[in-house]
Amino acid sequence: MEVNNQEIESYEIDQEKIKSDLLTLNMGPQHPATHGVLRVEIKTDSEVVVDAKPYIGYLHRCMEKHCEHLDYRGIIPFVDRMDYLGAMNQELGYATACEKMMGLEVPERAEYIRVIVCELNRIASHLLAFGTYAIDLGAFSPFLYAFQMREKILGFFEEISGARLLYNYIWIGGVWNDVDQDLIDKIQAFCDEMWEEVDKYNNLVSYNKIFINRTAKVGTLTAEKAFDYGATGPVLRGSGVKWDLRKDKPYSIYDRFEFDVPVGEGEQGELGDCWDRHIVRMKEMYESIKIIRQACDGIVDGPIMCKVPKVIRLPEGEIYHKTESPRGEIGFHIISKGDKMPYRVKIKAPCFTHVSILPHLAPGQLIADFVATIGSIDIVLGEVDR
Amino acid sequence: MSTINHESISFFQYIKNIIGAVRTTFKGMMITFKYVWAVKPDTIEYPEVREVLPERSRARLYNDVQNCISCNQCAMACPVDCIYISSKPRPKEEEVPKTSNGTPMRLILTQFVIDEALCCYCGLCTTVCPTECLTHTKDYEFSQYTLDNMKYDYLDPEVVAWRDRIVKNP
Repeated sequence: MEVNNQEIESYEIDQEKIKSDLLTLNMGPQHPATHGVLRVEIKTDSEVVVDAKPYIGYLHRCMEKHCEHLDYRGIIPFVDRMDYLGAMNQELGYATACEKMMGLEVPERAEYIRVIVCELNRIASHLLAFGTYAIDLGAFSPFLYAFQMREKILGFFEEISGARLLYNYIWIGGVWNDVDQDLIDKIQAFCDEMWEEVDKYNNLVSYNKIFINRTAKVGTLTAEKAFDYGATGPVLRGSGVKWDLRKDKPYSIYDRFEFDVPVGEGEQGELGDCWDRHIVRMKEMYESIKIIRQACDGIVDGPIMCKVPKVIRLPEGEIYHKTESPRGEIGFHIISKGDKMPYRVKIKAPCFTHVSILPHLAPGQLIADFVATIGSIDIVLGEVDR
Repeated sequence: MSTINHESISFFQYIKNIIGAVRTTFKGMMITFKYVWAVKPDTIEYPEVREVLPERSRARLYNDVQNCISCNQCAMACPVDCIYISSKPRPKEEEVPKTSNGTPMRLILTQFVIDEALCCYCGLCTTVCPTECLTHTKDYEFSQYTLDNMKYDYLDPEVVAWRDRIVKNP
């Protein structure tokens, strides 16, 4: 039989003609994988994400506007409620900014206590990030193990400050309550336990072949792009950039402690993928334990609060001060006109910049991989919307 | 139509992947298996077993009106403005009573209401209190059906009667 070649050519499938419509899908705001009330409008072509657009604002509480009507002490409970998982670090950022402006000298003991609680808080925050990330990828029990340890840290916080999540503990000029030696011994014993726990988590999840296959080479963020988007914290370090404010621009007394800055090394193929960001968090827990041990050994006796006037008034002027929170750099821009209330408080939240990376990472991913990407950048919506 | 390009792997790599997956999963399962007998449960059966809260725990506020001098400092310090105080001056002929630490009560407290539904449990009001009459208690079971029920009038005899039950530092 003779075949007409020309005819066959004309039957060839025209890719353009049969192009299917894109499906618009709303992921969130009440979606367990978006870690809070984040709505991502994704356009999918079958299973592949073509475009993703995050919508924020579901947890907006006018934090910055509220600050203009509160005295400087009253702002601290509000600052807690921004990043409710790393509240101590937020308080430290705000308190150090105010102290820097007022020129206060914080007592030694208060500085040590601050470092201990902040690093404990960092571990608690990373534990939650690790646990929920495992849930996103389909492993449930690591979450329970992570929360078992997190519960112990929250127990310490309840003993130290009286609250479990929203502490109002680090005040301008020092800390609220003193920590007794019993508790410091308990924290040191906890550090040894925690070190083994992190080993366990790594065996259980980080080096599991299934986990690696889900996260390696997914959501790769190059160092250049991370800089372009203004990423900080574990997201930036996951891309291989060694930048940690605790090391590079030490605030409080972080310059006294020896610790490394873990960065992503591209162990599983690509530098800056989800696995790298995950492992940076796991390694950071080790470093936090190292810092806590040194701080517990080196703690000195003395007052916990310096002399602060009854009504705090910041001198006229403005300041921008940034510290390293579990999620990245948190910056406080305080403008004061010399009143007992600030004129303006602008907060630079790390999660806000991290959400903006999503549209860059999403195109070309499967929906399941997109969930893994959202989990790996570890956002807290309270901080995004403020 | 966009497609996902899967990496092509050799047969050897395929087998290696499977072995790796089985080995690492087995390692993880061993850790999980340990929890069957080697780790004590951390959870407690709540209504029967209750956790003992630390001394500094911040739960329901309680104002001991017998010691309150109506200084209004707590209402000033409150960041969410949930404390409502009103007072009137004491008549001159009346004797001025004293609080337990010797501060004269020059004003008569006519209203002391805290909207605990609005309270953010920051503890700022308790730190400014000069007579330490306003304290956070360790009482955390006070859910209500309506928001209005969360408004506590501390001059109400019913509420005053809590004193023996929940006051942290009597």
